[in-house]
Amino acid sequence: MTTPSAHKDAKVDFTKKMAMVEDALPLWRRFDQWWLLFLAVVAITAILMIQKPDPYKRIAFFLWDGVRVTLGITVVSFVLILLLGLIGGLGRVSKNPLISGMASLYVEIIRGIPLLVQLMFIYYASPIILRGIGQRLVGIFPGIAAKLTTVQLNPFLAAVIGLTVCYGAYVTEIFRAGIEAIPKGQMEAARSLGMSYFQAMRFVILPQAVRIILPPVGNEFVALLKDSSLVSVVAVADMTRRGREFMSSTFMPLETWLMVALLYLVMTLFFSRIVAYTERKTSYVR
Amino acid sequence: MSDNLSDAGNIIEIENVHKRFGRVVALDGVSLTVKRGEVVVIIGPSGSGKSTLLRCINHLETVDSGRIVVDGIPLTDAKNIDLVRTETGMVFQLFNLFPHLTALENVMLAQRVVRKRSEDEAERVAHQQLEKVGIPEKADAYPAQLSGGQQQRVAIARALAMQPKIMLFDEPTSALDPEMIKEVLDVMLDLAREGMTMVVVSHEMGFVRAAAKRIFFMCEGHIVEETTPEGLSLATCKEERTRQFLRNILI
Repeated sequence: MTTPSAHKDAKVDFTKKMAMVEDALPLWRRFDQWWLLFLAVVAITAILMIQKPDPYKRIAFFLWDGVRVTLGITVVSFVLILLLGLIGGLGRVSKNPLISGMASLYVEIIRGIPLLVQLMFIYYASPIILRGIGQRLVGIFPGIAAKLTTVQLNPFLAAVIGLTVCYGAYVTEIFRAGIEAIPKGQMEAARSLGMSYFQAMRFVILPQAVRIILPPVGNEFVALLKDSSLVSVVAVADMTRRGREFMSSTFMPLETWLMVALLYLVMTLFFSRIVAYTERKTSYVR
Repeated sequence: MSDNLSDAGNIIEIENVHKRFGRVVALDGVSLTVKRGEVVVIIGPSGSGKSTLLRCINHLETVDSGRIVVDGIPLTDAKNIDLVRTETGMVFQLFNLFPHLTALENVMLAQRVVRKRSEDEAERVAHQQLEKVGIPEKADAYPAQLSGGQQQRVAIARALAMQPKIMLFDEPTSALDPEMIKEVLDVMLDLAREGMTMVVVSHEMGFVRAAAKRIFFMCEGHIVEETTPEGLSLATCKEERTRQFLRNILI
């Protein structure tokens, strides 16, 4: 409380300087040195495929379907995770004790169970529960009961549900932290202008919170990309599963897993750089 | 809805309001009324409940007991509190501008969202209000690029754009450098001259003498004394607590 205004002025200068630095940067300077690591890994992968097409090119072609499945599952899950994280985060900061309690319970339970176990549970155990419910409903809702008793979970769907429920808990906490980082006065100013709670969230709090949560959420995306390899245990033909199939038919574990590791690395390094780039682009000083 | 107590001349009626935060009693039976077009100033030591009282008028705090009626609508059982809030503009000590929006967008946002004005109209009103507070050239600046005084004037423009009937000021100049205080006070003086109903928590004696109609001295959650600008001196104040406070701030 000593000299708030002097503090404020220092910040103003800092923002102006930051703005100037950002404008002065030529395009190539925005690519930091870690892009070199990415290029090196891409180069190693390419050289292996060109110099020794057998087996490396063969492995890469065999894995290609898996790459698409891995990316597809990651992107679809991530969109749902953002949605769930937003709802969960709003729930966590709710003044209604029932809503915030339920959101907290979700986070605490899900974060305490390994992702691999959750995937197993959803794919193998949850159909049994659904069938059990179906049998109870036979006399009441024959239509729904018939569907439930013969339920079969699509592996892709099970994987997406598993990843979404699990990562949704972590992203909920990121959203909560981002919303709570916005000073209380922002909500008060918005409410004093006649905005409802949700209007204030939508137009004042969340646009500011998004800038704060973008870097950690981006990191979650990269982590999700790697953790999606766990879905290979629930019969999804992702990159890891394709690698296992190739290994068991050719008995070339070294070459297979080297190629799988390189392809994961290419993807994660690329997305990490994108996250770092957006982080610098959207950082601003209050 | 019509109430015998609601005199047509009173736009704010506060009756025996109590409010506590845990064990701390912030308001202990406060009653006061404000007439349409009146400028009322509340002074008092920190922690005396001035800001809490102001925030209760805007329903940013809820009262524990007692009654607050704003423009004929009792706040305790108002069906749509957001509607009542659009009648009262509030200016905060720390400005609370939206940092992700330009000055112009700050003034436009609530007009668009709450008043449902068209983009063109909201922009026209926003330019008008920024003109009125004397910084039309800063319309496209972000809050971080403005001085404290400029930020506070944008905040006043933002509140005025909603065409409120009452303006509440919560220590609007206490976070400002001395040379910026005048530019904000001048805007407030203009508003007072135009006949805006204002409730101001402030210790700026220049403003108090020039604009206030009545002055309330608060201490420990009570209104200790009511006086006028002329009566606000060591010689004329009746209560010892008020005189003690004046001795401290007039030096």
